[in-house]
Amino acid sequence: MNFLSKIFTWWNGATIGTMLAAWRGFEHVGTDAQGNKYYRSKKKTGDGRERRWVIYEGSNDASRVPSEWHGWLHGLGEDVPESFLPPARIWETDYTPNATGTDTRYLPQGALEKGGHRARATGDYEAWSPDA
Amino acid sequence: MPNVTVDGTEIEVPEGATVLQACELAGKEIPRFCYHERLSIAGNCRMCLVEVKPGPPKPQASCALPATEGQEIRTDSEMVKKAREGVMEFLLINHPLDCPICDQGGECDLQDQAMAYGRGYTRYDENKRAVTEKYMGPLIKTIMTRCIHCTRCVRFSEEVAGVDEIGALYRGENMQITTYLEQAAEHELSANVIDLCPVGALTSRPYAYEARPWELKKTLSIDVSDAMGSNITLCSRGREVLRVLPRINDEVNEEWITDKARYQVDGLQRRRLDKVFLRKRGKLVEGSWDEAFKAIAKAKPGKSIAAIAGDMVDCETMFAAKALVKASGSDLVESRQTGMDYPTGNLAAVNFNTSFAEIENADAVLIVGSNLRTEAALLNVRIRKAVKRGAKVFVVGPEWETTYPAEFLGDDVSVLGKLPKAVTDAFKDAERPALILGAGGLAAGAYDSALGLVETLGLVKDGWNGFNVVHTAAARMGALMLGFAQDGGIADIAKAKPKLVLALGADEVDWEPFADSLKVYIGHHGDKGAHAADIILPAASYAEKPGSYVNTEGRVQFADKAVFAPGDAREDWTILRALADALKVKVGFDNFAQLRAAMTEEVPALAVEGLADYGSLPKTGKAAKAEGKIAYPIADFYLTNPIARASTTMQRCSAELIHGEDVREAAE
Amino acid sequence: MADRAPAPDTPELRERWGGFVWTDENAEKARTFVSRYPEGRQKSAVMPLLDLAQRQVGAETNTQGWLPLPVIEYIAEYLDMPVIRVLEVATFYTMYNLAPVGRFHVQVCGTTPCMLRGSDDILEACYKRGMVKGSTSEDGLWTLTEVECMGNCATAPMVQINDGNYEDLTPERLDAVLDALAAGKQPKEGTQEPGRHTSEPSGGPTTLKEMVDANHDYRSEW
Repeated sequence: MNFLSKIFTWWNGATIGTMLAAWRGFEHVGTDAQGNKYYRSKKKTGDGRERRWVIYEGSNDASRVPSEWHGWLHGLGEDVPESFLPPARIWETDYTPNATGTDTRYLPQGALEKGGHRARATGDYEAWSPDA
Repeated sequence: MPNVTVDGTEIEVPEGATVLQACELAGKEIPRFCYHERLSIAGNCRMCLVEVKPGPPKPQASCALPATEGQEIRTDSEMVKKAREGVMEFLLINHPLDCPICDQGGECDLQDQAMAYGRGYTRYDENKRAVTEKYMGPLIKTIMTRCIHCTRCVRFSEEVAGVDEIGALYRGENMQITTYLEQAAEHELSANVIDLCPVGALTSRPYAYEARPWELKKTLSIDVSDAMGSNITLCSRGREVLRVLPRINDEVNEEWITDKARYQVDGLQRRRLDKVFLRKRGKLVEGSWDEAFKAIAKAKPGKSIAAIAGDMVDCETMFAAKALVKASGSDLVESRQTGMDYPTGNLAAVNFNTSFAEIENADAVLIVGSNLRTEAALLNVRIRKAVKRGAKVFVVGPEWETTYPAEFLGDDVSVLGKLPKAVTDAFKDAERPALILGAGGLAAGAYDSALGLVETLGLVKDGWNGFNVVHTAAARMGALMLGFAQDGGIADIAKAKPKLVLALGADEVDWEPFADSLKVYIGHHGDKGAHAADIILPAASYAEKPGSYVNTEGRVQFADKAVFAPGDAREDWTILRALADALKVKVGFDNFAQLRAAMTEEVPALAVEGLADYGSLPKTGKAAKAEGKIAYPIADFYLTNPIARASTTMQRCSAELIHGEDVREAAE
Repeated sequence: MADRAPAPDTPELRERWGGFVWTDENAEKARTFVSRYPEGRQKSAVMPLLDLAQRQVGAETNTQGWLPLPVIEYIAEYLDMPVIRVLEVATFYTMYNLAPVGRFHVQVCGTTPCMLRGSDDILEACYKRGMVKGSTSEDGLWTLTEVECMGNCATAPMVQINDGNYEDLTPERLDAVLDALAAGKQPKEGTQEPGRHTSEPSGGPTTLKEMVDANHDYRSEW
């Protein structure tokens, strides 16, 4: 990752300021399958809780946090999720972030990108053609 | 006239009324399933129980109990309430709770009455009965587990349609409604049992799972599939007419409509003309309105312009066309596409003078060249009623399957000149004799000899006119009223060799003689007319424009617009108005109201809904002798017009019911 | 009788029964039945005619007879009425057989009085002989049906075999009757209880005892 882009952009990973803060007061806890890194504060807050952060590997998109780490970020468990969650079942699929706006988004049958074959709807009609 | 007391109010009821009718007269609602005004009384659903004094101290079925002097009827007592709840609980014992997937949902008598009169819960926890589906043809879908055995459908097919094909087999709790060997119900009115069925046992097969009744916009319209002018409701959602239901009009269609009127509407979504087409180098290619109008103007028709109207055109369209033709200086207009040329000077002589409601009272009927079952199925129902009251029926023409006893007199019109003694005797004794001349008879040239019979058979009496003509086209009487006819029929127009021929939805015309004319087809379906045309201007069907129609008894009726025409199609009169500009003539109207005003100014009778007065029949001298074999114009009841021909349902009916193809679906 | 249904309409059925016409004797009988009803009401004769047809079919097949669809159609045509109306009648009455039956149609009454008097044992005896409810035995002799009350409650339990009733049955007595029938003999119809004549009280009268031998005037004793 290029240092200049770190200075001038904010949409990939942490900004310079966050990186500095993390270096000073964050403790690295774990990394998920996508490479997002999870941190917690070294000091407890006034009411005795600890603060938890994620620094994304790549674009800053909250939906890239898989469900087990989402739980951890919201205060679930003490240690990394693997330590308190049951092992993944064989039928569980890999977590995928929200695909809205990307090429892998859901397209209904009638969408032009899918060939535009939609089911018949009210008001559809079949036009006559002289060759028929 | 017995006096009865209903819930404390005393009323006088007509002689022969039932207790149920008495309660209705008193404004009380009586729940019922098997009772129907137009069918015989069965008394087997028991839902109409009321308390009647004097009589046994138990609730009585009001539909089958005559109202007599001094009866005290209670419809609001505790006993009646309990009785209704009990009956409803019994009815629901074997009725499935599948309302969410039932097509009758929202217009179901059982649903409504269970809400209004039921107890709201059941104490029954045994197994419910299930009945296998029965096949009843391409129009009727059956889910027989829902049947509550009201036998309305059985009574309809026996009493009204006159074709015994539905029956109740097995006994007691195993009773099942079916057709013999599950053959398709095979008559022109079969789908009316769908309306009659108070539950979802008989539902519409083409309309299955299409819509719920509350989603539909209801538009009052007039059926154009035959010349009866049946009153219909077009049920539409968005831009599509999803189904057609009959409207009650005792003068015209009572509450029935033919299967074609009901199911041809899916043809409105197929083979539609939605673009302008122009013939270039012998091939029809898409074009624009501008191109089309320019091409028509380039033909420079001048006075050489003619208009031919099809069978389903409304009066306004024909008037607009006639105005255009007249403004151009021509008078070549014709609506009898198939070449008939009977005189049209006296409209009474080409009208159904007796009126449909009155024909039920006829006591001798001579049908000349008409297969009423295919040409006017609802008129056939009326004649059947007349026969039940004792009328004798004679038919001239090839034999067809009547639904009542009738004597066939051969298929040559010459028999009119020397009627057998049985006929003359029957007519001599008849107080209300009627003659019905059909399109087949008109085509065979029986017009004069039939008119001659008016005197011979004494058809016109005080307050009774027994001379009737049955047309097959919904547009015909309107066209004749507008003077949309030539003396020599369409042959006159062909002889004049017009440069420009406007075909207003005319699909039955033989275009051979018009080879040199520029043929402009203004219509809504790509059928024979469109294939023959040089320029196609897409127009609106009967569901897509307001209009007036005159049925074969001269009844003026108005239809509303239900949906918009597809694509580039426009309402017919606007096309003709634009054409007038293109041809640089003035037709004298710029909007629909002006058009209608101009039309009613010319033909005042078209302004009033109801029977038009055509005066008296023309005087005829000696009956002219006619000869010729009668052939009926309708070979295939289900495919008589371009909409029906485009309709998959009608095509299927034709294949299965007329041509006997086994297109039965595998058991669902 | 929930499983009654007309035998399926197959080409074989059509071929076997399509040519059904009255025998000369039955044609005469059919005319008599029809002539009992006024002109134009000949449809009223549908029930005796169906029975006649069933018997003729029985005679032809050496069984108790049944009503194949072509025969039902024949009757509809004979009476000039819609087939569905004839079929309605034929399916409504259980004594019209819609499927072939054997030479002996054993109809065991299973309604309450007969059941209390041991109709279960009677049925059991039938089962023991290899009969199965609702079907015909392999040798074509027996068809077993359980029916509702036949009106012989005073002499329960009872079975009806073809046109005869056999009452006051025990499994042994039923066996005797069936054996006799199988052997081609005609057992005594009616009550099978020795000493009993018809449905009089079994074991002698309990009321009006004086009336047994001669007329007796009870009026003075009221």
